[in-house]
Amino acid sequence: MIFSAPYFLFLYLCAVLFFYYITPLRWRNLVLLGLNLIFYGWGEPVYILIMFASIVIDYTHGMLVTRCKSRGNVRGAKLAVASSVVFNLALLFFFKYWDFLAGSLEAVGLKLMPKLNLKLPIGISFYTFQTMSYTIDVYRGDARTQKNIVTFGTFVTLFPQLIAGPIIKYKDLDDQLEERIHTVERFAHGVQRFVVGLAKKVLLANAIGSLWDTYLATPVGQLTTLGAWLGVVAFAFQIYFDFSGYSDMAIGLGRMLGFEFLENFNYPYVAKSATEFWRRWHISLGSWFREYLYIPLGGNRVKAPRMIFNLLVVWAATGIWHGASWNFLIWGLFYFFWIVVEKLFLGRVLEKVPAWLSHLYGLLIVLVGWAIFAVEDCAALGPYLGAMFGMGAGLWDGAFLYYLGNYWPILVIAAVASTPLGANLWKGLPQRVRQTALPVLLCAGLILSTAYLVDGTYNPFLYFRF
Amino acid sequence: MSKKYAILITALFCLFIFGFGAAFLIAPDRTFSPQENRYLAQFKAPTLNSLKSGQFMKDFEDYVIDQFPLRDGWIQFKARMERIFGKRENNGVYFGQDGQTLFAQYTAPLEEDLTARVNYVNQLGKNLDIPVYFSLVPDKSYVWADRLPDNAPKVDDGSSNEKAKDLLSGDVTFIDLYAALSGEDVFYRTDHHWTTMGAQMGFLALSKGMGRSGTALKDEPVLRSDSFYGTTWSSAGAGWVEPDSIYTLVPEGGENGQVTVTRYPEGKPIPGSLYDLSKLEQKDKYSMFLGGNQPLCILQNPEGSGGKLLVVRDSYSDTLAPFLASDYQEVHLFDLRYNNMSLKQYVQDHQIDQVLVCYSAANFASDHNLFKLEL
Repeated sequence: MIFSAPYFLFLYLCAVLFFYYITPLRWRNLVLLGLNLIFYGWGEPVYILIMFASIVIDYTHGMLVTRCKSRGNVRGAKLAVASSVVFNLALLFFFKYWDFLAGSLEAVGLKLMPKLNLKLPIGISFYTFQTMSYTIDVYRGDARTQKNIVTFGTFVTLFPQLIAGPIIKYKDLDDQLEERIHTVERFAHGVQRFVVGLAKKVLLANAIGSLWDTYLATPVGQLTTLGAWLGVVAFAFQIYFDFSGYSDMAIGLGRMLGFEFLENFNYPYVAKSATEFWRRWHISLGSWFREYLYIPLGGNRVKAPRMIFNLLVVWAATGIWHGASWNFLIWGLFYFFWIVVEKLFLGRVLEKVPAWLSHLYGLLIVLVGWAIFAVEDCAALGPYLGAMFGMGAGLWDGAFLYYLGNYWPILVIAAVASTPLGANLWKGLPQRVRQTALPVLLCAGLILSTAYLVDGTYNPFLYFRF
Repeated sequence: MSKKYAILITALFCLFIFGFGAAFLIAPDRTFSPQENRYLAQFKAPTLNSLKSGQFMKDFEDYVIDQFPLRDGWIQFKARMERIFGKRENNGVYFGQDGQTLFAQYTAPLEEDLTARVNYVNQLGKNLDIPVYFSLVPDKSYVWADRLPDNAPKVDDGSSNEKAKDLLSGDVTFIDLYAALSGEDVFYRTDHHWTTMGAQMGFLALSKGMGRSGTALKDEPVLRSDSFYGTTWSSAGAGWVEPDSIYTLVPEGGENGQVTVTRYPEGKPIPGSLYDLSKLEQKDKYSMFLGGNQPLCILQNPEGSGGKLLVVRDSYSDTLAPFLASDYQEVHLFDLRYNNMSLKQYVQDHQIDQVLVCYSAANFASDHNLFKLEL
């Protein structure tokens, strides 16, 4: 299931709220587990089995680690953690990377693996990372063992963040799984956050996304320089509002059910460097890789060459996490390059130059990055980047003027909405004005989003490759 | 946030989602949407198989969207919002600069594709030893290009027509309609079809091209409907656009009442008429011309002197046919989409003495049945 669809909003969500709140507190996790499984099985019912396997195997591993540790068997505990990590990575590899590897080997003449053409289970990259963090944290002593398999299952399948994050670590949710506070204030905050996310996804991301699709479909020979930039800017807005909109909806839905999730985005496009961008973009993924990959490798407390190697591993992994395709790997390595350059010397230079220049630098990196990310066909990537840097069919054409004329209002709104400007203006309003405006905006957001969903000609789900 | 205020916010949200959720469950389902001119998705009870494959869920998602309470209103509201936010198109339809003309977008065929399509026509010319004519009806966006939004990528810039002309072999005679159509009332504003006036201009050019001397009718146009909302209007959801009027020029049964129409909607002949006025009661009023799409329709005029003409038709031909029937003894409207019989055989069996392949530019770019010209 996805959030931005009438059947979710007006039927599933109603059912969730109804059944959840009529259930006594002590049974709520069980009810939630059942509802989660319906959510997950909706798109690909057979894959519910993966969920069951994940729950049982990770639960057992958690118990195993604890048992070994309580008996002083460090070796056994280590083995159990390793086995859990191997299981999760194998699951991820099998469904996500098998065909990619088979295809790549075939391309160099090695027919070692048959292609399987399996449909990628939705959200697999998110939940395998979540469950992996559980056993590792139990081993490290950072999280308690969950002895109740229903509670653990609720964590693994928790529908608000199941398919598009944020990636939640078990230790951050542990207490809330056992006991959470349901207040109307929290619910109302959840409503606000959810509607903001819904509007971001439906009214901004979808609206701008169609512009990007137009440019992606433009034959290479017809792509102008300004057109190519307009296309990339459109994609940048689409993926930001889509992804952060999903995170907002997740956080909002979580609050409606009494959960408090960590933030996932912090105005990434105001970043002044590649390094800063990744502190603001998909925060939960960056922090996962830092905690479970970069630091265990030695992090930056090692000699420079080793640190660069560590960064290489992390960024290659981050890249390929986004999809089994070469362009994602290139995209990860692109960030590796700039982050290393920034660590070596550019970072110090950027601190000294005027702010507008470092903002420009940051945006340039991010936009070129998005071009690499969004043009998945590697053969088309070169010409697209070429067009961006002047090797296109002229500077602009009539189509560019038409699309600019069509989209400038939404581009301006998107530009303002991706900086803290809008939020600051809102906070600057007198309390009374805000109190009156909020319900009006809320209704406007719901009504507009519903209209765009009912006439839903363009409503893509972008993370089916994640 | 005070508790009271939180209750207000919560109540608003719940009222909205539970309200529409309940309305969806209670309201009776519609089978057909006149506004969109299409059948709406219906509830399909789940089976073990459809649950396992996920087909039930996919169908259910469509069902909820199609049967959503006040669907027509939501669609029109969205179109209005798009316009307010500066969009000059919605759902693949350009909003014309005059605020009242709508243009459906389509993708012009690439060189290779166009060549293949024209070659089917060439093959037909080669297969038959009677005159074969070919013409494309220009898209509204070509004739009314000045009404398109500024800088809008052209839907039909006339190049397909030029290329088709060049690709045509010596066996087929090309008749250019692109130069023939102009003026205020040649197309419906809310539909992609040409009007009776447009079809008459087309007829005059075709008649000349086929060596006849058809003339324009002096009669005053007869108003048949002033509330026609075409399919372009339906996809655009453009509630602010005024309806079109449908006029006819040729009287029912032709100038002297001598024209008879035989329809073959399902293989068996039934008597028809030039104008099926009962169709004016429904949304798809354009189908009043000859009663709408059908595999075969034959118009006979004992006073005609032009012989037997077969038209490989699309829906544009239905408006054209009354004019053709005034000059030809027989006009056979043959639709490739609903016919699998050999065109060559049909021509022989019915002693057809000339063939006109006439398609709208949009249909010629997208039709999947042109290969049947070779049969």
